Amino acid sequence: MASAPRPERVPRLLAGCLPPPPPPPTVGLLSMEQEETYLELYLDQCAAQDDLAPPRSPLFNPVVPYGMYILNASNPDTAFNSNPEVKETSGDFSSVDLSFLPDEVTQENKDQPVISSRHETEENSESQSPQSRLPLPSEQDIGLGLNSSSLSNSHSQLHPGDTDSVQPSPEKPNSDSLSLASITPMTPMTPVSECCGIVPQLQNIVSTVNLACKLDLKKIALHAKNAEYNPKRFAAVIMRIREPRTTALIFSSGKMVCTGAKSEEQSRLAARKYARVVQKLGFPARFLDFKIQNMVGSCDVRFPIRLEGLVLTHQQFSSYEPELFPGLIYRMVKPRIVLLIFVSGKVVLTGAKERSEIYEAFENIYPILKGFKKA
Amino acid sequence: MNNTAASPMSTATSSSGRNTGKSISFATELQSMMYSLGDARRPLHETAVLVEDVVHTQLINLLQQAAEVSQLRGARVITPEDLLFLMRKDKKKLRRLLKYMFIRDYKSKIVKGIDEDDLLEDKLSGSNNTNKRQKIAQDFLNSIDQTGELLAMFEDDEVDEVKQERMERAERQTRIMDSAQYAEFCESRQLSFSKKASKFRDWLDCSSMEIKPNVVAMEILAYLAYETVAQLVDLALLVRQDMVTKAGDPFSHAISATFIQYHNSAESTAACGVEAHSDAIQPCHIREAIRRYSHKIGPLSPFTNAYRRNGMAFLAC
Repeated sequence: MASAPRPERVPRLLAGCLPPPPPPPTVGLLSMEQEETYLELYLDQCAAQDDLAPPRSPLFNPVVPYGMYILNASNPDTAFNSNPEVKETSGDFSSVDLSFLPDEVTQENKDQPVISSRHETEENSESQSPQSRLPLPSEQDIGLGLNSSSLSNSHSQLHPGDTDSVQPSPEKPNSDSLSLASITPMTPMTPVSECCGIVPQLQNIVSTVNLACKLDLKKIALHAKNAEYNPKRFAAVIMRIREPRTTALIFSSGKMVCTGAKSEEQSRLAARKYARVVQKLGFPARFLDFKIQNMVGSCDVRFPIRLEGLVLTHQQFSSYEPELFPGLIYRMVKPRIVLLIFVSGKVVLTGAKERSEIYEAFENIYPILKGFKKA
Repeated sequence: MNNTAASPMSTATSSSGRNTGKSISFATELQSMMYSLGDARRPLHETAVLVEDVVHTQLINLLQQAAEVSQLRGARVITPEDLLFLMRKDKKKLRRLLKYMFIRDYKSKIVKGIDEDDLLEDKLSGSNNTNKRQKIAQDFLNSIDQTGELLAMFEDDEVDEVKQERMERAERQTRIMDSAQYAEFCESRQLSFSKKASKFRDWLDCSSMEIKPNVVAMEILAYLAYETVAQLVDLALLVRQDMVTKAGDPFSHAISATFIQYHNSAESTAACGVEAHSDAIQPCHIREAIRRYSHKIGPLSPFTNAYRRNGMAFLAC
């Protein structure tokens, strides 16, 4: 299962600390070992910050992740910006040869039945708001995270954070604060939530990519499986694939929107698959400017929340119209995330461009929600 | 106006549609709504019936006036612009309505981004759905605004006092509840006329009207109906508070003369006070609230707006 690591997953700062990865001819996912290394490094810094930060009163927002998230925020931009040229050249290769795909496919197979059954239970448990079709997580969500260690390694390759998040255990407490600034993983796989063991799970990722060639939608619709095209209704082909379970909107300009993936990797993988399909149909498709536009996460704080109190004290951020929508809409300024907070304790976070924003937003809101816990 | 003890509302002009409206009753929903707006745990059925009556009459009148406006324009449906036009005189209520429309737009934008199926549906149904209500409102107010004060409302960030008071009341109410009661309270809060759109339409007897309201106009009507109920509860709570004779209140002997007429002469004011202590809002509170609201007092009363020609002022606009 060892595949060559992708260039954009290794931040330049980190490269100094780790053995430099071999330049990849194909784009692939990080191998298990390397992801674990990143994970440990991240956890070490968090543990170090744990020691440094004084015990926090529940009224204040958590301070710890800020520095790291700010660093993260700046890094991905720089790292990603350097990517297009790297991606272009390697993109050409990879769009021709996705030979690693079959491996991924069999692993996804094992995941899908679990994930799709979770979807069903989520939909069944939505009795309160029949009109809103939000995929509110059920208890199974957290359970899924806890049980993922029992699933194959493949699952943990995609969601390494889930197994470790509940018990973050710093294994090497000897890392010092100097390493904090220098070691910054691109996307922290596990945020250390000091106040609770709850980590938001990603539910939906919307991404866009430019295939950089004009497309004949009719031809695509005729020849591709699972493709819908109704030019009178909408000027794009709607294509779906089963692994990862996603939907793509493909426009004649060559731009494509991919929705429904549960992680950044899956979204990228799915987008590549769609690009491959288009390519197989004879178009010179490339894979330019893959960008994640929106990420949606959700979690459950496990206690009922008194929304009337929250809307009164956080008036400038929240709006709560229960006759319109059963949840309170909280517009967090930093990070710029919209949270939907429900009486049951379920929280949906949306508007993120990066995973860290979701984690940070949840860290910010959790102490506030605890203050309005309905006994 | 009327000074009989009987309900003035039943003798008010009511369209023939009212007979069919009798078979459709929102009384139970209204009881829930009133609880969520500040009434007791179990509002009285008579009060709910009275409130239903009031809201129904007001909405029918509003619809008739909106139909007239729409006819003036030569349109074939009642659009939200007609309703906005009727509300142009009362800035605060208009602002509240605009805020409601914007929140509706915002909520559909957010929910769309969460569920991929919603996103697809939205794309399929045409790309101009974002902020459609806001656009409608903005375009219309732009066209009728002479002095610029209507458009200034879009930037206005003043605190809506009525809404603030309602929020505080709800917060006080919920603070003492346990989680089971609170869950029930939240369910009642989620009730609205827009959730029961078809029943609402039938209740207003829209099918027999020549000019019917379109979808967004129906949304606004449902909102106005809810707003009317909310206003009634607000006012009734104020009236009830007034009725309680407080020790040391210098004006306790000067309870409004007309108020006493709603009770049998055998009842003393002390008994009124006792009655007022019971938890739920009584029909007499509602009647008194409406009486005070539409009472033609003050030097400008002959020149108050023409919406009162039916003898009842609109609570919602």
